[in-house]
Amino acid sequence: MLKLTDEEKRTLQGEDGRLKQVCMQYVVEMAEIAGASRLVDLDGTGDMHSPGLALSQHYQITIDELREFAENGGRFKIPTFANKSPFPEFAPVHGWEHCHSCVRGDSSTMFSNPAHHKQSLHEEELSIMKKMGLITTHSCANYLVMSYFPSVGQHCSWFESSQMPYCNATLGARTNFDGTFATCILGKAPYYDMHITENRLGTILVETDRLIQTDLEWDVYGFAIGEAVTVNVPVVTGTSRPTTTQYEKFNSAIATGGAVRMYHLPGMTPEAPTIEHATGGKAFQKQVMIDNKVLRDTYDLLNFRTTDVIDMVYLGCPHLNIVDLMQIAHKVDGKKCKVPVWLATAPWLYAAAKEQGYVDIFEKSGIVLTTGTCPAAMGSLPAGVSCIAVDSAKQAMYLTGCYPDDDNRLQMAYGSQDDCIDAALTGRWRGEWR
Amino acid sequence: MADKIRIKGRCVYPGCVEAEALVSPKPLQGFANIDTMNGYTVERRHPLFKVPYGGKVLVFPSPRGSGGFMAYGLGPNPPAAFVYNHATPLTVLLALQAHTPSMTDFERDPMEIIETGDMVLVNATEGYIEITKKSK
Repeated sequence: MLKLTDEEKRTLQGEDGRLKQVCMQYVVEMAEIAGASRLVDLDGTGDMHSPGLALSQHYQITIDELREFAENGGRFKIPTFANKSPFPEFAPVHGWEHCHSCVRGDSSTMFSNPAHHKQSLHEEELSIMKKMGLITTHSCANYLVMSYFPSVGQHCSWFESSQMPYCNATLGARTNFDGTFATCILGKAPYYDMHITENRLGTILVETDRLIQTDLEWDVYGFAIGEAVTVNVPVVTGTSRPTTTQYEKFNSAIATGGAVRMYHLPGMTPEAPTIEHATGGKAFQKQVMIDNKVLRDTYDLLNFRTTDVIDMVYLGCPHLNIVDLMQIAHKVDGKKCKVPVWLATAPWLYAAAKEQGYVDIFEKSGIVLTTGTCPAAMGSLPAGVSCIAVDSAKQAMYLTGCYPDDDNRLQMAYGSQDDCIDAALTGRWRGEWR
Repeated sequence: MADKIRIKGRCVYPGCVEAEALVSPKPLQGFANIDTMNGYTVERRHPLFKVPYGGKVLVFPSPRGSGGFMAYGLGPNPPAAFVYNHATPLTVLLALQAHTPSMTDFERDPMEIIETGDMVLVNATEGYIEITKKSK
């Protein structure tokens, strides 16, 4: 049974104005559905899809209400970051001029259409929200640029599948999948699931017979673990120490193959100095072996093709960090790509990539650096692409869902970043599970 | 008259409806792997690929993947009710959108009893489901 404080009750009754009342109605309904006993005061950070004024089909805030709230000094209660390009278009922030793909199957307009681009930025709402404190990082991996992180144990409210394990497991902060305008304005969220220590303890031991050390191995291992443990908290063994890129890969893959929002890497993640800390000293409910055969089967599942001819290459799921961009620039410097190549990073890293000379290298190689979004979020690819190469299990899973019909089923070549760059330079796929 | 099997569970979203079951043996994924206009999943190699769920009691083990899972509650022809084993913040987001009867945390695993085509009464308000097996 949900118990609210007197202050929360007053907000719910409208004493803090209609905007906060709607936000509280939404958060209270969420808490009731979740079976939460109370709300938690957030002391960490927020992450939300912007503008996000339609909290659900049933709770909406108008732009007039937003403007009035801001003019009266209304602010986000916690430091809040915008995830991805503005909803619902998910248009590229940079590189859009070169994205000749139609908007969600609607052939009458393209992402490269200036009028569509302007509209898709939702400047009116976002200019108000920036005054209210929203930090417009616009990335699925906005931890790459946020420069302000929640500390271990802080309560957050984030929204993005790959960022659930990033916040909970990698950082040791605490979030559920509930980062919205409402939670970030109020600085409150339902107190359940990952906010509670007991629910964060590992219950399934995951082992493998192969040392997980390359980016591709981390990606495949993550997806396979997600499929095996679905919504449980695994304690994962058998790996090297992950790089930033490998954390990105693993977190996105484990939250695609399953809905894993917390895991432990003993000796590496903050809540698991040892296996005993990870489990709270309790016995495992289950042990899972992800052996090389399972990994190979997973790799084969993510490959979805009958051809070696590649029409396009996409790298940037989750968004590329500055080291990824540097490495790709080194690999293509002075070379010409045979097929269209799109990269994606966080908008704020575009200037860094330009400063470093990478944008210039990419342009000369025929590569487009986009920011803020990805093909799966955009929901379409340029006409004529029937087989695309990617290095991400997450992108492979979602992008093929955009092309489910027999007459234009999208084929997928999935492998390492090197395999994808080789495909970009040759137009052929030579990757395999080695 | 066919025997009815009653299982108690926890109400996620109240309401009472009876409809034919559609059982997904695998977790369901939203975001780009759902077509809300046609009302079916478009995840490749999924047992429910392009099987319409509109008006059905959708029975599944758990969600997986993106927050776009909530899309199972959107569109012109959503399921009549949701029955699942594992509640997570993703199923909370679904119920917030769908506002249709939803239940979880059952005393017996409903996936072991319900088959596609069975009639299922979801009485979330009173905390039980009642299954009428389809005639063989």
